[in-house]
Amino acid sequence: MPNGGPAVAIMRGGRLRGTASGTVPPGASRRAGRGRGRWIGVAFILPALAFIFVFMLYPLVSSGYMSVTEYNFVYDDAPVFIGLDNYINAFHDPQFLTSLKNTFVFGVFYFVAIMIISLGLALLLFQRLRFNAFFRSAIFVPIVVPLSLAGLIFLWILQPNYGLLNTFLTQVLHAPSLAQPWLSQGWTAMASIIVLALWANVGFVTILFLAGLQSLSPEILEAAEVDGAGGLRKVWNVILPNLRETYFITGTWAIIHALKVFVEPMVMTDGGPGTSTLVLYQQVYQTAFTYFDMGYASAMGYILGFVILLLVILNFVVTRVSSRKAG
Amino acid sequence: MRTTWRSKAAIYVVLTLFALTFLAPLAYILINSFKPANEIFRVPQALLPDRATIENYGAIFEGGFGGFFTTTLFITVAGVLIVAVLSSLAGYGFARFRFPGSNVLLFAIIATLTIPLVIFLVPMFIMENSVGLINTKLGLLLPNVAVALPFAILIMRSQFLAIPEEVEESAIVDGAGVFRRWWSIMLPIARNGVVLVVIMTAYEIWGEYTMAKALAIDPSAMPLSVGLTLLKGEVWQYGVLAAIIVVAVLPPVLVFLIFQRHIVAGVAQGAIKG
Repeated sequence: MPNGGPAVAIMRGGRLRGTASGTVPPGASRRAGRGRGRWIGVAFILPALAFIFVFMLYPLVSSGYMSVTEYNFVYDDAPVFIGLDNYINAFHDPQFLTSLKNTFVFGVFYFVAIMIISLGLALLLFQRLRFNAFFRSAIFVPIVVPLSLAGLIFLWILQPNYGLLNTFLTQVLHAPSLAQPWLSQGWTAMASIIVLALWANVGFVTILFLAGLQSLSPEILEAAEVDGAGGLRKVWNVILPNLRETYFITGTWAIIHALKVFVEPMVMTDGGPGTSTLVLYQQVYQTAFTYFDMGYASAMGYILGFVILLLVILNFVVTRVSSRKAG
Repeated sequence: MRTTWRSKAAIYVVLTLFALTFLAPLAYILINSFKPANEIFRVPQALLPDRATIENYGAIFEGGFGGFFTTTLFITVAGVLIVAVLSSLAGYGFARFRFPGSNVLLFAIIATLTIPLVIFLVPMFIMENSVGLINTKLGLLLPNVAVALPFAILIMRSQFLAIPEEVEESAIVDGAGVFRRWWSIMLPIARNGVVLVVIMTAYEIWGEYTMAKALAIDPSAMPLSVGLTLLKGEVWQYGVLAAIIVVAVLPPVLVFLIFQRHIVAGVAQGAIKG
């Protein structure tokens, strides 16, 4: 440690005396919370807090205020207070209701699929296998691909004439009847968006499930050695019920991400064909940045926030209650 | 032991199918980036190019896509540096000091992770518009830092919490000031957390789309994640588009392959503690 000169020596002396005269024995953890010391903690947090305050906490409040005003960014000088009109109007707005319905359709299929596929993959990857590292890399790597670029790749794969999927169906499987104009029909467009979201995120949820499996006790884990039908039953009866903590984590994550879906339809379908893949997030986004109707957009954003909050709480209650029942 | 053999084989088949499905889009774009234009649109399609070419990669430099790259590179590098420093400071502050309201503050920071970004976006836009930050690199950088911070703070906080108090006690007896303890004792021990924060933040900013789409309206100000989507309708440029996508996706993929163990362990740990 370099010598700091007289100033440091004085400081050092002061510190030493302070510690010696204190009633708190060394090793106890209370010292940091006493006297002047506690405000040093604020100093450490302050720079980060400034960023979070300016770009998140203040916008949260500001947006909440705008949601009860009429405020078109292009025409209006200032927001005009109109009470809950934006919220009430939203539920009479067919476009909003369509986007709400689409978000739920996406959310339900995405949620169920990602939970089942990720849990299944985690159980398989948990076995002692050859090439395990390769399987893991292949399944995890889409996590780091920028989603909008993945959307461009999928756009290409789904292109009806020269895209990979239709080429595979006609030239490899010799089943041209299965080939579709995937993104120009409502339900296949929705399915395409769900598949992209799954491709991008299954790896992440699989990691969370693997971590959950790793945290199980060895006695439970012995049952995980899959050996035929008996083994499968053990997985079903012993392992899966013990993953409740993990269901809470993955479930919360999946709910939040399902309802925040945005990039996938934005890049691949623009909400089309028609409004068949228009999701809530997109509706808020377009209201704000195409029509600059900031008040209405804020209200719809808040509705989305409330829906997420509600479902996260519901998920919390369900996983807790069922674990109490079992425990 | 026939059942064991069979179920093992089934597991291998299922995992292989999944692995190939997950890799297919990446392999597809890589192969297509080496196809000349006439082969990209030829029906029936061939899997591999008849005449592999690197002309698509050459065209990246002529096509004026450099701007997208510099913007993304700038906001990623600068953003990662700022987030790493600020989250190490704040994580230490939360792990070692109790002050009035510190728990409320921590909870507020965790809560921001569940709020949809779009709620912040309208005031962000109005704010940046009033100070002239729309369509600037700084205007992209600052909100990216803010949005990446909460998760980074949680990671760093759990790292510092895991270090026994005794490690610091001896330094206090030695008379080291709090900033010095943070810098020369705690931070080196928590370096795994810093590496994780650096990698996660880099991914987040490199691929960030939602904020950039609203805050960079002018194509010349756009980062890769938004700028490249402008090309989706311009079919004649598909070969070049494939090449740029490969170049844009390669850095994160390489980092992932090198640090995979670290990242996976970090994500798992962060999720459980957070």
